[in-house]
Parts: sequence; structure tokens; C-alpha cells
Amino acid sequence: MRREDLLVQTLVDLADNLVDDFDVVELFTLLADRSVDVLDVAAAGLMLVAPEGGLRVMASSSEALHLVELVEVQAEEGPCLDCYRTGEPVTIADLTTADDRWPHFAPVARAAGFRSAHAMPMRLRQSVIGALNLFNDVPGALDDADLLAARALADVATIAILQHRAVRDAHIVNEQLQHALNNRIVIEQAKGVLAERAGIEVDVAFTRMRTYARNGNLRLVDVAREVIDNTVDTRLLDT
Amino acid sequence: MEGERLLRILARVTSDGGPEPAVARVCALSVDLAGVTGAGIMLMPEDVPWGSLCTTDQVSATVEDLQFALGEGPCLDAHLDDRPVLEPDLAAPARLRWPAFTAPAVEAGVRAVFGFPLQLGAVRLGALNLYRDRPGPLSDDQHADTLMLAGLAAHAVILTQAGAPPGRLADELAATADFHIVVHQASGMVSVQLGVDVSEALVRLRAYAFGHELVLRDVAHDVVARRLRFTDSGDQPETQP
Repeated sequence: MRREDLLVQTLVDLADNLVDDFDVVELFTLLADRSVDVLDVAAAGLMLVAPEGGLRVMASSSEALHLVELVEVQAEEGPCLDCYRTGEPVTIADLTTADDRWPHFAPVARAAGFRSAHAMPMRLRQSVIGALNLFNDVPGALDDADLLAARALADVATIAILQHRAVRDAHIVNEQLQHALNNRIVIEQAKGVLAERAGIEVDVAFTRMRTYARNGNLRLVDVAREVIDNTVDTRLLDT
Repeated sequence: MEGERLLRILARVTSDGGPEPAVARVCALSVDLAGVTGAGIMLMPEDVPWGSLCTTDQVSATVEDLQFALGEGPCLDAHLDDRPVLEPDLAAPARLRWPAFTAPAVEAGVRAVFGFPLQLGAVRLGALNLYRDRPGPLSDDQHADTLMLAGLAAHAVILTQAGAPPGRLADELAATADFHIVVHQASGMVSVQLGVDVSEALVRLRAYAFGHELVLRDVAHDVVARRLRFTDSGDQPETQP
């Protein structure tokens, strides 16, 4: 299969996963394996940022790479770590020159048979949520076509994990959304209630509620509810 | 093949234009992909119309306004029934589904209207509303594209709100949202004028607007500007010059 066709097919297969429910580790394993074919590297792996910070190894196309990635996370040094910290791709074309930069990681990577490494960030606007790591057993950097392809694979992985999280957490976010929507309405209603009770304009009513909330270290929406329920003395809101 | 459709649409969403919030971009893209004149996204928390997150033109805003004021329309049906609602010929429908909504919508220039629910798993957010100024159905492709866009819109809403502090609407969503502020302010005022709770006051406002063939928003403006006052003397509101 031509390289371009394999890339398109990979992206389509991954995108199909986005439509159905899927297991994240399974998806990332597919992605890692397919990256090896598409990009003609020796091994590929994926790391995700763990909730408590730091990186977690999610999938590796080979056992040898898996051990190298674990060392990287453990020692907190290596191309993937740098990629995570900077949010930029990291390329090391020859790992024999990397001992100063990564004294723990570089020898371990070479011992596992790798001579070059590349890390692509998984990014959504400002946040880095992980990295796609590519290791080769010969020295050399990725060419422009490979970089583009690696970028595309990292982007699909990003979308996949965000989608997975969104579906898993959607009901929680939805509850918060409903609270937030209701709070907006309550505040507007309270402006009207206070405006009518005190004989003032709604803008003035808003200012009085906000001042009262700040002075009492209260949430504006709580003050609004008190105004509507008539449990706060309107005179207390006179500035 | 659904994967290819998703990729094609994702490519458009991410490449089509820059800094606008994702939800607004999905809205704009739906107009293009579905071959319609305008679109809007309505939120319906707990099955009650709240307002629009975005609209692409004035007529779309009117379509949402009407549904909010009248409590009927394609978005409501799509959300409540969990399926697309399609009316390809609003001026001469096979069946009059929305007795109150239809005439004012046609007068505003709507000749075809389609509602697609915004859902993510079990979460039901509201609906994507499309309208066209000429009658006619959506093609199969347009229908399938819109289904997918509605799904992406739901994702975008949840992902955007996930980044907001609890209890607050995400800034990106609030920036283009229209939730009928003046109507809620008027409800507050009328609740004091009539000595009823705020939801009852809103019912009274809607009834007044409907009975006098006025736009709810205009009635609310009059209340807030103190040109219109509600009293219970004979259940007729007093008007002040």
C-alpha cells in the first residue's frame, strides 16, 4: 500500500473509532502500530498527561520502546518530556550526541537499539495533553512529509482522547452547564424584582446587588436568589 | 463511510476561519454544508428553552425568539423527540405542526426549517436549527452532514463549558449567547407588580404578547422602560404614557 493511502486509511480507521464507543488504550495501540508503518520508524509510543501532572505511558508498539518510555517518565528527562514541557516538537537525529542533554535516557535508548527520536505534542490550543513518540534504529531527522504525517496522527489522537473524556464526563459538565444557565436567568430576574421594589433602573439594581455581594463576600447569584425570595431587606441594598 | 465524513467535516471546522469560538464556527459551517440560509443553536436545559448560543443572521434569531416566546417549533420538537424534525415547505406544509409558530416564521422569510438535536451520549443539550428562504428538503448528504455537525456542536459545547469555573457559563459560550435578558428582567418586575412568583409573571407576559399579537421581546422592553405596567385590576395591564 502506498504511504499516503496507509495514512489516510489510518486516519479513517481512527475516525471511525471516534464515532463509536471505544477503549482508549486499544485506540492508542492501534495508533502506535500504524505510526510505525506510516512513518517508517522502528517503534512508536503514546504518552498522556496524568491528572496529577507528569506523563503516563499509554501504548508502545514494541516492548523495547515500552521500557525506554518508562525510563523517560521515571527519570523525567528525554524528548517526550521536553516536548510536553515546551509544547513543541522535539527531534534528536543522533542519540550518540545526547548524553549531556539526557544523561539517564540517552544511554538506555541506545542500549535498546534506537539511534534517533522524535516527539510530537498532542495539543489543543494552549494545553498539551500528551505526546506521540517515534524512535528509529538509524540516525536521521524526519523529513517534512513525515513531520506533516506525524502531526496529523498526533492531532487525531488528541481529538480521540478529548472525545472520550467528553463522553465520559459529559453528564457532569452538563449539570454544571444547567446550573450556570439557570444562574444567569436568576440574576436577570432579580434585577427586575429589585428595580420594581426600590423604584430604580435595572442597571442600578445590578450595581447595588453586586456591591452588596462584594461587601458581604457573597456570590452574586445567592444575593439574587435572596432578592427574588424577598429574604433580604431591600434597604440593605441601598448604596 | 462515516469515518471519511467525520474527517472531511473536522478538516473544515478546524481550517475554516480563525478566532471565532468553535460553536459559532460549527453553526456557520452547517449553513454551508446543508445549503440553507441561516442556522442557530438553541439550548434547552431541563427541556425548557433557554436561548440561543449563536445565530448566523437576524432571521435565525427570530426563529429562536419565536420558539422561546411560543413554546413550540422545530428545535423544541427535535430536542424533546430526540430526532431530526424536517419541514421542507413551511408556507404549505403537509400537516400544520406549529399553529402559532408557522405564520410569523413564514412572514420573517422562512420557507423551510429543520431541527437536529444536540446530543452527546445520554446528555441532551438542545438543538441545531436550520432555515432556508426557499422551500425544499435536505439531500441525503446534507442530512448526514448535519447530523454529524450537530454531534460536533454538542461536543464543542461540553468541551468549552468543561473549561469554565463551576456555576459560570464559559466566556466563549456567553460571548455570542442570547438568552432574552430583557424578558427575565421584565418577569422580575411583573412578579412584584402582580404579587406572583417569577415563572407565573413570565406566563402572564407571554399571554399578553400572544393575545395582543406583539413580540414578547418588545413587550418586555416596554415593561423595563416603564411604558407598560401590569396590575390585577380586571386582569388588564395599565399602560402609562
